[in-house]
Amino acid sequence: MSAKRILIVDDDADIREATQLCLEITGQWEVLMAENGIEGLAIAQFEKPSAILLDMMLPGMDGMTVLKKLRENSETEKIPIVILTAKAQTNEKKVFDQLRVAAVITKPYDPMTISDQIASALSTSDLV
Amino acid sequence: MTQRSSNTVRNLEELLHRMTNRIRQSLELPEILEATVDEMRRFLKTDRVKIYQFHTDGSGEVVAEAIYRQHLPSLLAQRFPAEDIPEQARELFLKLGQRSIVNVSTQEIGLSPLLSADFKAALLKEKSTRLSFRKVDPCHVEYLTAMGVQSSLVVPILHRHRLWGLLVAHHSVPKRFGNRELEIVQLIADQVTVAISHANLLQLTRLQGQHEAIINQTVSYLHSTIEDPLQRALDHIISALRCSGGRLYTTASSDQKLDSPTPQNSAQIGSNQIVKDRWVLAGRQPVRAKIAAAKASVSSALVDRDIENLELETPESKTLKLETLASKTAELTHCQLEPQKTNTIAIEEIEHLSEWEMWLQNDLSNQIVANLWAISDTNAAHIPSPIAEAFARADIRSVLIAKLVHQNQFLGYLSLFRQSIDVETVWAGRLDASDPRQRRPRQSFEAWHEIRHNQALAWEPREIGLMQDLIDRFSSTIYQNQLYQKVQALNAALEQRVSQRTAELQETNRHLTQEIVERERALAALQEARDSLTRLSHQNELILKSAGEGIYGIDPKGNVVFSNPAAAKILGHPNSALVGKFVHDLLKHAKPEGDRYQWQQSPIFNTIKHGQTHHVTGDLFERQDGTQFPVEYVSTSIRENGQIIGAVVIFQDITERQAMESMKDEFIAVVSHELRTPLTSIRAALGLLAQKQIEIPAAKQQRMIEIASSNTNRLVRLVSDILDVERIKLGKVVLNKQTCNLSTIMAQAADEMRAMADNRSIHLLVSPLSVQLYVDPDKIIQTIANLLSNAIRFSPAHSSVKISAQKVCKGDVSALSQSLSKKGKAAIASGSEISDYILLIKVEDEGRGIPKDKLEAVFEQFEQLNNSHKGHQGGTGLGLAICRSIVRQHQGEIWAQSEMGIGSTFFFTLPIASDTTSS
Repeated sequence: MSAKRILIVDDDADIREATQLCLEITGQWEVLMAENGIEGLAIAQFEKPSAILLDMMLPGMDGMTVLKKLRENSETEKIPIVILTAKAQTNEKKVFDQLRVAAVITKPYDPMTISDQIASALSTSDLV
Repeated sequence: MTQRSSNTVRNLEELLHRMTNRIRQSLELPEILEATVDEMRRFLKTDRVKIYQFHTDGSGEVVAEAIYRQHLPSLLAQRFPAEDIPEQARELFLKLGQRSIVNVSTQEIGLSPLLSADFKAALLKEKSTRLSFRKVDPCHVEYLTAMGVQSSLVVPILHRHRLWGLLVAHHSVPKRFGNRELEIVQLIADQVTVAISHANLLQLTRLQGQHEAIINQTVSYLHSTIEDPLQRALDHIISALRCSGGRLYTTASSDQKLDSPTPQNSAQIGSNQIVKDRWVLAGRQPVRAKIAAAKASVSSALVDRDIENLELETPESKTLKLETLASKTAELTHCQLEPQKTNTIAIEEIEHLSEWEMWLQNDLSNQIVANLWAISDTNAAHIPSPIAEAFARADIRSVLIAKLVHQNQFLGYLSLFRQSIDVETVWAGRLDASDPRQRRPRQSFEAWHEIRHNQALAWEPREIGLMQDLIDRFSSTIYQNQLYQKVQALNAALEQRVSQRTAELQETNRHLTQEIVERERALAALQEARDSLTRLSHQNELILKSAGEGIYGIDPKGNVVFSNPAAAKILGHPNSALVGKFVHDLLKHAKPEGDRYQWQQSPIFNTIKHGQTHHVTGDLFERQDGTQFPVEYVSTSIRENGQIIGAVVIFQDITERQAMESMKDEFIAVVSHELRTPLTSIRAALGLLAQKQIEIPAAKQQRMIEIASSNTNRLVRLVSDILDVERIKLGKVVLNKQTCNLSTIMAQAADEMRAMADNRSIHLLVSPLSVQLYVDPDKIIQTIANLLSNAIRFSPAHSSVKISAQKVCKGDVSALSQSLSKKGKAAIASGSEISDYILLIKVEDEGRGIPKDKLEAVFEQFEQLNNSHKGHQGGTGLGLAICRSIVRQHQGEIWAQSEMGIGSTFFFTLPIASDTTSS
């Protein structure tokens, strides 16, 4: 656990690139990236990142399925997941809460605080 | 002597002839008597010839007289008392027809009885000559001397065995009358007798005539139509019979005195009230004691006369009397109208006194015939005191009373009154009543007027006879009047009843008519109500039938009592299959989440139970086939007289609406996501760049700027596409149609996309077709460019994208390429109706294709995104939606065909203007 590693699963290349830079600079994260769910599951199981930043609207396998699969896999079930979504309506948030995720961050996120948000969420989840 | 004798005879004959002529010339006795005395005086050459007529009481009167040169004083019209010619002398005149010749100077009287057949025998017994003289009675001499008579010749005038009078010749100097003169005078007397007979006959006839005239006049009054005929008749009788007054009392109680007074019906009893006691008054009326003081003795009928009399009196008393009269007149007028009520003061109802009836019944001495009493002198009659006093106060001296009876029915009394009168007699000389020698002749025959006051004027037999005749007339008239009045009353009562019944009938009739009218009106109203009810129920039925919403009604138990076709259709039941079923079993009403309601907890039950209206959206009903569908319904209670008798539920299937709503929600979510995605990159990139304290390598800084820029462009496209789609959807985009050529449009669109194709090493192949179109060229270019852009975006490098066009005959769809899908054929067949031909444009690519189930979905908004596996392809996901909108606005259709791994082809059609032909 010398280095904090975070996996970004998002289909938008620009978002991946910008978020990577943001997390590297503001949070000193080592950033892994996947552009769809299948890729994300594979990297997660192989790399075992400290956290996963998961987009919900993914082409092919959607974010919810990816989350389910991560939890079904004993190797990835403990990885804290932070949901990054553009669907930030109240009723959707309720659904996310039931998923026992570390945090839900709404797009477009604030690049200056996102690292702190993730860190705080992870520390809380560690306590739990 | 012979000559003289013949002369005398001739004279005698002449005299008789003349006498006879004059008697014949006139029927008036006075004239005849005048002529007689005149002729006889001339013949006898005496100073006076007179005719003396005896009255019934034995007194006499000179009724005719002829005097020669006033040798003797006139005695005409003078009366001589009965003693002057004593009864025995009168008897001799009558029985013997004795004539007498008196010579005062010789104190000798010659008597010659006229031998009448009856007395011949008697006379023959006496020793008598034709003319026997003897010594005259000294008294007689004295009497004649006093008259200034020296010679007298007296011949009796006998009429009907009665001594009518004497024919007397007087001479102032002694004169001899011989047998001859006597005979002649006798002859003259006989002539006078004849004349008297004639005159009496005439008089009788005249009286008879008068009698009849009076009766006729009275009867005509009685039967006339003038006002108050009884009053007029009474007045007439009173004047005809020389009365001072009279009264007619008619009784009201006549019916009670009928022989058979049984009333036959109620109307007859009523008529008794019509015929009232009534008095008709004329002249002075009897006044009774107790009111005599209050009343003057003059009755109203004589008011006028009284007022005339008052002229002679002092002004003071006159005023007083006038007042009295006025009040009396008022009283009388009043009591004539209503005598019953005022009987104690007004009219002296002597007929009502008990003494009245009793007196008349008992007074047989004055009763002439049955029901008629003639009292010539009330002072001499026995009259009960109240009545006698009443007569006396009114100065009534003679009374003639008739009880009016007709056909055994008592009608009343007719009473006539005469007051005391003053009788003036002119006597021949005044007799000294105080002289003890009453039998002595008077000293002077100077005319002496004797006036005797307060004499009764007795009723003459002819007057009584007249009264008798009149009574019958009055009785029958009164009877008839009363009968008439009764009949009138009966008639009036009958008429009144008839009119009353008629009025009642009319009222009833009116009511009936009104009722009929009202009933008709009610019937019409009822019919109208029925019609409108029928119309209304028909309308209601129509409304129910045509309503798109399902409508059903339930009773308090929840059983369906009615439903409309829409309800049946929505629920998948045959029409009217719902009625009679328990609604909760039928619908299996459930909450939106799918939990079935307990019937008692369902909002519809609540409506029935508590009358509350519920408007619910999202609950579920079940169809006949067991499928559920979401509904929106309103349940309302039906009340009658405040009682809930059921509920009506209006519902509709909101499946589509819910789908629409979820689509809308999804659209918002997608738009939100699509907008947030580029914004996320922009915000992150720019946010990092903005931080001066953070060191970012220059290459990274450049990347961040590029990311921000390209995402900004993406965001702009996205926003304008979203706006386009929304504007087209809302119909806010107006097509700017113009005639243009398809080849130009195709070239322009290809030119726009050429750079993009070159960028991705895609071969863009254009096969233009020259066709005149009437379209909005900019929109068609946008459509083709969009299709080309999609084709280029999803094509691998070095592949080809082709655009071509062709005219297709609508009736010849099968001639088209076999690759055309069923949907495409249908689209072409149903295309524009303007022309038989249609323009078909297609864009082909050699991309990886679209799954069959997505061929339609791609035209929906943002659909492409879910299809993308390789990151975003630079589209907004709205392009195809915009294309479909534009094409449909041009009455065209757009669809896609694809084969996975080989490529996709997008088709769209446009109508060709009929006058345009291909070049």
